[in-house]
Amino acid sequence: MASREFIYEKFADYYSNSSLNVPQPTLMGQREFGFLLLKERAMVRHKSFMEIKDLRRFLSENVPSDVYHSCAYYENPSFEMDKKGWLGADLVFDIDADHIPTLCNKIHDEWTCGKCGFAGKGITPETCPVCGGVKFDTKTWPCELCLNSAKEETVKLVDMLEKDFGFASKEIRVFFSGHRGYHVQVEAEAVRMLDAMARKEIVDYVSGLGLALLEEQASEKTVTGRRRRRGSGSFSLHDFGWNKRLKAGMRKFILNATKDDLRAVGIRSYALLQNKDAVLSRCLEEGRWDSVKGVSVETWRRIARHVKELESAKIDTVVTTDLHRLIRMDGTLHGKTGLLKKEFPAERLTSFDPFVEAVAFKEGTAKVSISDAPEFRLSGKVFGPYRNEVAELPTAAAVLLICKGRAEVV
Amino acid sequence: MQMETVRFTENDLAKYPFLKETAEYMKKLGLKIEELENPEMAPILDRAQERVKEAILSVGVGRKRENYVEIPSFPVAIMLAIATKNSFIKKRYALAEAKQAFSDMQYETNERIMAIAADFDWNIALNRNPAIPLELAVNFTDYLRNTTHLRDKNWKLVNRLLANGKVYLNKHDAARLLQEEVQRRIEKRLEAKELPSLPEKITAMAEQLLELAREKIGEQEMEGFPKVVSQSAFPPCIIALYEAASKGRHLSHVGRFTLTAFLVNIGMPPEKVAELFKSFSDYNERLTRYQIEHIAGERGSRTQYTSPQCSTLQTHAVCTGSDALCRRVHHPLAYYRIKLRQRTSEPPKK
Ligand code: SF4
Ligand SMILES: [Zn+2]
Ligand SMILES: [Zn+2]
Repeated sequence: MASREFIYEKFADYYSNSSLNVPQPTLMGQREFGFLLLKERAMVRHKSFMEIKDLRRFLSENVPSDVYHSCAYYENPSFEMDKKGWLGADLVFDIDADHIPTLCNKIHDEWTCGKCGFAGKGITPETCPVCGGVKFDTKTWPCELCLNSAKEETVKLVDMLEKDFGFASKEIRVFFSGHRGYHVQVEAEAVRMLDAMARKEIVDYVSGLGLALLEEQASEKTVTGRRRRRGSGSFSLHDFGWNKRLKAGMRKFILNATKDDLRAVGIRSYALLQNKDAVLSRCLEEGRWDSVKGVSVETWRRIARHVKELESAKIDTVVTTDLHRLIRMDGTLHGKTGLLKKEFPAERLTSFDPFVEAVAFKEGTAKVSISDAPEFRLSGKVFGPYRNEVAELPTAAAVLLICKGRAEVV
Repeated sequence: MQMETVRFTENDLAKYPFLKETAEYMKKLGLKIEELENPEMAPILDRAQERVKEAILSVGVGRKRENYVEIPSFPVAIMLAIATKNSFIKKRYALAEAKQAFSDMQYETNERIMAIAADFDWNIALNRNPAIPLELAVNFTDYLRNTTHLRDKNWKLVNRLLANGKVYLNKHDAARLLQEEVQRRIEKRLEAKELPSLPEKITAMAEQLLELAREKIGEQEMEGFPKVVSQSAFPPCIIALYEAASKGRHLSHVGRFTLTAFLVNIGMPPEKVAELFKSFSDYNERLTRYQIEHIAGERGSRTQYTSPQCSTLQTHAVCTGSDALCRRVHHPLAYYRIKLRQRTSEPPKK
């Protein structure tokens, strides 16, 4: 069919002309490479390359829709899994709009159960609520709002990696994933040998899972009734790590709090609002949490829990703990968008614009018939929305729509 | 990190004989295995035997003696434990030595704690930040290596003061983590399979210790889990995973890991686990031999993985809610162990 040929041709062009843009991964000789081939529609794994020029040649000769390499380093990357000889792995984080509930994913994301045909909007469930099936046809969109929320999560993550975990900024590599999120890859020597359990602890840290201040107070009520556990009445937060995040977050919450905000987190007494100064200095600063009348420890627990949600970074947890994970390679095309996975300095997180900087196809146009597509922006131009129409579009826009299954070449 | 090397005194080595420096001490001593049967070696041999015996009886190592007995008795005790060829005794001995070290370390200065930590290649320093009320700062990787299997949620990294890559600890906690290092180091030494031919006296002692352990601990406990897998003692979470897998339903990453590790932990041989999964469906063939053997500790890392504890399974929604026994345990394996014991003590039903 014409559309697939069109994509093949464009991807082939990219890899034969611009493959010099594909940067060399760290210690590439020790990594496993995997490719989804466009023509064959098959996954090829367990490849290894000693030199970047060999890899670039492979790309232009085989034209994959997606290119991956292992986060792990192996003695023999091209051997079968059990003979590879694991030598360590980067610490990687995947932040994807698929895992972040946003207001708009109910609008632009749809799923249909591959087994029974039941369909819904928003985030794809793990199992079909009707038949328990696990295969879904999904229709998603790399939406700006969703990408911005992924970016906010990335900002929080990078902040923790720098301030709490103490990684140097050159050790923290940040990438646009090419589709709906960001990758953060830590290539520090210190993390290479961490096992899955240690990585799980890091995951729990950045997502605030098991943070004790909250749980301690929770158990206090349910388990011991009215009796207060040692120290919980006066427990001050210090100015480092999660304590600092909680403290700053709670201060902000209280300073801006309205009755609505309190109700939203389940607090029904408004005592907090009448005496903000005392609440801030006595409770938050001195740690005497129950020293203001009408503001209970339970109230604080609710606020803390809310703040924890705001301050934690929403990552895809299984990616980080998988010691053999394949991750998309920097500088290669994403088969679902035709956009590039693209590295940029962490300092530029807020200003980075994926719809300009990750555009791979900068020349030519193509005529496509579009079934439907929301409004979108590419290289500074706004397109759509479209519904059952034919349009002549710049190559990048045409590739995006075809890759997302919203258009065909005519 | 570069640390000025602290020389350990003989008193230190007597307390912490697992330190690398003990090897030098022993070299100078020039003790030979064959000489162990000499009468003048009797105190050393006696103390070595006591170490292992106390470990079996009370997870202790007994009272210290003079340095010239105490220090060499440690490597001899190691040899003795290896000679029992019993993994229960070895584990228990390593734990006993580690616990003893922990209780001794609590009375040490910070400098001494740091010196011991340096022996385990920790990156550790005194805290110089007056705003932080804890004495020691440890690299978070050293911290994680020694805490991920500790159950109390106080050990979770998220509940620690982590700043700039350092976890801040008081002396007590640093010593507790060092206990883990000590235990691992001793367990490693006990893994040695090749033993020089031992004097008869030693083999006889090992035989006695084995007998003692059988008596005190009971055969079943010593062998770990009985080799027969008793499905009716599975906890609810495992039953659910098992059933889902048998129907070819999708299991999450955590779910697959839990089921596999659980089955391996209760003594199902890895190849049986692989067979089981294969018999279930095509999908689960993705749980390849490789993964199972990795979990079983036969590949790569060589550490056997333990199935996750209840709290982890709760966060990953693998826990399927709890029956009465669930409420008493923190680990599916504990559930299995208790249920099994209950069942075997019940009279057989007709
Ligand atoms: S409480 Fe523990 S043993 Fe019981 S179902 Fe949950 S995870 Fe399994
Ligand atoms: Zn369905
Ligand atoms: Zn959106």
